[in-house]
Amino acid sequence: MTTPAPTLALTRRHLLLAAGAATGSALPPAWAQTAAPAWTDIEKAARGQTVYFNAWAGSEQINAYIQWAAGELLATHGVKLEHVKVSDAADVVKRVRAEKAAGRKAGEGTVDLIWINGENFAAMKRDGLLGAPFTQTLPNFAYVDTTGKPTTLNDFSVPTDGLESPWGMAQLTFFADSQRLPQPPQSTAELLALARKQPGRISYPRPPAFHGTTFIKQVLLEHTRDAAALARPFTPEAFAGVTAPLWAYLDALHPHLWRGGKQFPANAGAIRQMVSDGELLIALTFNPNDAANEIVAKRLPATTTSWQFAKGTVGNTHFVAIPYNAQARAGAMVVANFLLSPKAQARKADIAHWGDPTVLDLARLPAAERAAFAAAPLPGQVKQTAPALPEPHASWVEPLEKEWTRRYS
Amino acid sequence: MNNLRLPAALALLLLAALPLLATAALALGALFDASAWHALWQDPQWQRALTYSIWTGLASTALAWWGAAALLAQGFVGQSLNRLLRGLPVMLATPHAAFAIGLAFLIAPSGWLLRAASPWLTGFEFPPPWPTTQDPWGLGLIAALTAKEIPFLLWTAATQLQRDDLRQRWRAEHALAQTLGYSPQRAYWRVVWPQLAPRLFWPLLAVLAYGLTVVDMALVIGPASPPTLAVLAWQWLQDADLAINAQGAAAGGVLAIVVLVSALGWRALQAVATHRARLGNGERGHEPKRSPTPSVRPEPFDELRTGSVEGLKRTRASIVRWLRQAQPERRGLGGTKTAFGFWLLAALYAAVLLTLAIGSIAGVWPFPALWPEALTTQAWHSVWSSRSTLSTTLVLALAAAVLALAWCVAWLELAPRHWDTAMRPLLNLPLVLPAVLWVVGLYRVALWLRLEGQWSGLLLAHTAMVLPYVLLALSPAYLGFDPRYQALSASLGHGRWRFLLRVKWPLLRRALSASAAVGFAVSVAQYLPTLYIGAGRFSSVTTEAVTLAAGAQRSLTSAYAGLQFLLPVLAFGIAAWVGRPRRFKVATT
Repeated sequence: MTTPAPTLALTRRHLLLAAGAATGSALPPAWAQTAAPAWTDIEKAARGQTVYFNAWAGSEQINAYIQWAAGELLATHGVKLEHVKVSDAADVVKRVRAEKAAGRKAGEGTVDLIWINGENFAAMKRDGLLGAPFTQTLPNFAYVDTTGKPTTLNDFSVPTDGLESPWGMAQLTFFADSQRLPQPPQSTAELLALARKQPGRISYPRPPAFHGTTFIKQVLLEHTRDAAALARPFTPEAFAGVTAPLWAYLDALHPHLWRGGKQFPANAGAIRQMVSDGELLIALTFNPNDAANEIVAKRLPATTTSWQFAKGTVGNTHFVAIPYNAQARAGAMVVANFLLSPKAQARKADIAHWGDPTVLDLARLPAAERAAFAAAPLPGQVKQTAPALPEPHASWVEPLEKEWTRRYS
Repeated sequence: MNNLRLPAALALLLLAALPLLATAALALGALFDASAWHALWQDPQWQRALTYSIWTGLASTALAWWGAAALLAQGFVGQSLNRLLRGLPVMLATPHAAFAIGLAFLIAPSGWLLRAASPWLTGFEFPPPWPTTQDPWGLGLIAALTAKEIPFLLWTAATQLQRDDLRQRWRAEHALAQTLGYSPQRAYWRVVWPQLAPRLFWPLLAVLAYGLTVVDMALVIGPASPPTLAVLAWQWLQDADLAINAQGAAAGGVLAIVVLVSALGWRALQAVATHRARLGNGERGHEPKRSPTPSVRPEPFDELRTGSVEGLKRTRASIVRWLRQAQPERRGLGGTKTAFGFWLLAALYAAVLLTLAIGSIAGVWPFPALWPEALTTQAWHSVWSSRSTLSTTLVLALAAAVLALAWCVAWLELAPRHWDTAMRPLLNLPLVLPAVLWVVGLYRVALWLRLEGQWSGLLLAHTAMVLPYVLLALSPAYLGFDPRYQALSASLGHGRWRFLLRVKWPLLRRALSASAAVGFAVSVAQYLPTLYIGAGRFSSVTTEAVTLAAGAQRSLTSAYAGLQFLLPVLAFGIAAWVGRPRRFKVATT
């Protein structure tokens, strides 16, 4: 058995284990020591560069926000930001990987900056598709709330090691039309009771759709008896014991779901449309301000309310990262720094523009800049925020999805 | 010119064959990965997904084939073919995904049809739990595919019927068969169809391959648990994990094998059917005793020879019928029936397009309201703000269509006929290989040539995708061009160029412009090659539409589908205008 086949058959989790072990111990001091070039030099080098920012483009507001950032960056730093619109960050990971396989060296790639988190980051980090750590070089990184929002340093329990710069916060949030659902469920147990009472009106996206997998994680975090195991890399031995309550819950829930749990909507967007049409009761999103945005856009009735489960829902951070072969590395760093600036973060948190919660620690900001963030809650916004439960380690995702698929499709 | 002909043809051949072969080889090379096949085999969904793919692909192809054949029969018999073809460009130009989205909203439990009847008739205050979209039997997908492919088959059949040589011969044979006492319908099925059907082999294969491997339509309206194998392959190819990518490529390989096997099966079936049709066991007569090919040269006026009175009467009746039909101004009786079938299809398209139009401005629209509570133009604003992608799309599609057309004309003009026949399987590869697999090869070629993210690479990729369609559209008319024109032109002392520029190409104007329009439409619709070869740096109307549809907003998707629809409609409109027939006054004798 010394043929290459077993190596190829090595699953992602083995590699992740290895990567996790390596990065957990050796790397942080190494990147902390990297001599950081002066920021002014970087800004100078960035002037005139074009940064190809590969970012998911499924939302008009996000696209408009990136357009705004591009205008600001051109005016203040002479950096041209091009939004490369993608439908799935995994496509970009694959492209960078293919470029590496084709022997492209540093400075010869097509991607300068990528919007990323979770599995895609874990894959890029593991495969050495990211260059040197850079976040400590960014002046605005000092404002990031790394203690209050620990997920800004741990992306799905994988240490970021300075390879990606936080951009925004996300937390699993539900929304529904309060006229159709006056009393929203406050836990997955209450959700099950609701599904029993109103069969066929609840569903969740079919994993591996992102929101579907997140819903499963939420159930898992609420019901498992060994939450600590989820923060560690996946092991086949732990899997059955940790996940048994999850499958028991889903077995009980599915018969009461839309189409008897035999079919699932393709993604969160489809569910939102069905809630808007009145076919389903509850939609789920990762942006606590999503429903408010949709109300403004007249795609949801003004009576829509958002909420998070009282004891907390899954939360994480999304980031921007620079591939190893970026052509405009300096420019990409300037962009990442700009995206962390109070000005950019305040606009991003503004419901009129995007409504994505900030990664900054407002207490550390100068008063003038802090004022830009304060705003009264709008119709549809989450009124009472709940604690963010940390994501399970990224290596759990694939076994969870595989097992779900095996059982339910 | 003649001594240069073969070298020039060879150069053309290499120009097209090398990239196509390289792409195919690299795409198929992705399949040599034992662990990927093992992973695929272990996957719990793939066998059921494959069953779905085969069922929806074969059923929709068979239905589209049958529907197109029936419409053609009525159109041919009723002499209303040209009228019938007038509405085709709009149908051809409707993007597949857009059609599926519109159809889904029509028939969904919360869709328009049920809203129209709720709650006054059905009593539904909420959408009923009916699996009318993403149904576990794949019926929605089959319906959408069938309705989308009938126009394509009709159109390719029409390109055959527009060949002067064939049309005249088939009309004559059809009339002759009627003088033998066959009804016009039966005469068509016995005489014309058996000759037409084999010529539609490649279009049919394209339809079949499309039906078996379609991703976007299946995502919208196809079964979901599990989805079709093409959707699974597509999801796997999108995964960040290399091993899962390889599994996706293997699934693409399975689909390629299914296409191949179905194609061979179809060939065999058709051979049997043609053989049986030639034996002519029609109700009217008996099996011919001497000639095995009576449809081409039947024994004329059999009835006259046997001298039966009944036979004579029937013969006379059919001659009268034939004479009536030969009168050009007369609209055949079959016209009303054609109208029915065709109107049904047209009504479906109209309903879908209307749904999209309303959907693009709909805001909140809860069931069972028949009309949206709020209207919003936000989606169209968004379309307007990304209008810069229009120019990329336009220039790319124009350039690819022109390049492909130039190549095809040169090839058909220069290549010996047996070269052409031999090369067709290779040239048609992009039609037949699953798109998910083909794009893997294209991308590897681009990486290898360092063309990724380059305009030139994108243009080449588009041209490669467009080429087979243009060739398919152009060759019937081009190869059927009456050779006597050339002899006549030569006898007047004109050279070849003069003949081409003054006689042949002007006469083929219609076919040339229509083929270019097809190429244009195909280029506009390219998603995967644009995304991969363009490295995301070039966004077209289609990549915009698909990425925005990832957010699954009905209004935005509908608006973009509208834009995606508009460009090909324009192209077909221009083609129709360029290729409009010149009107001559016909002297009636």
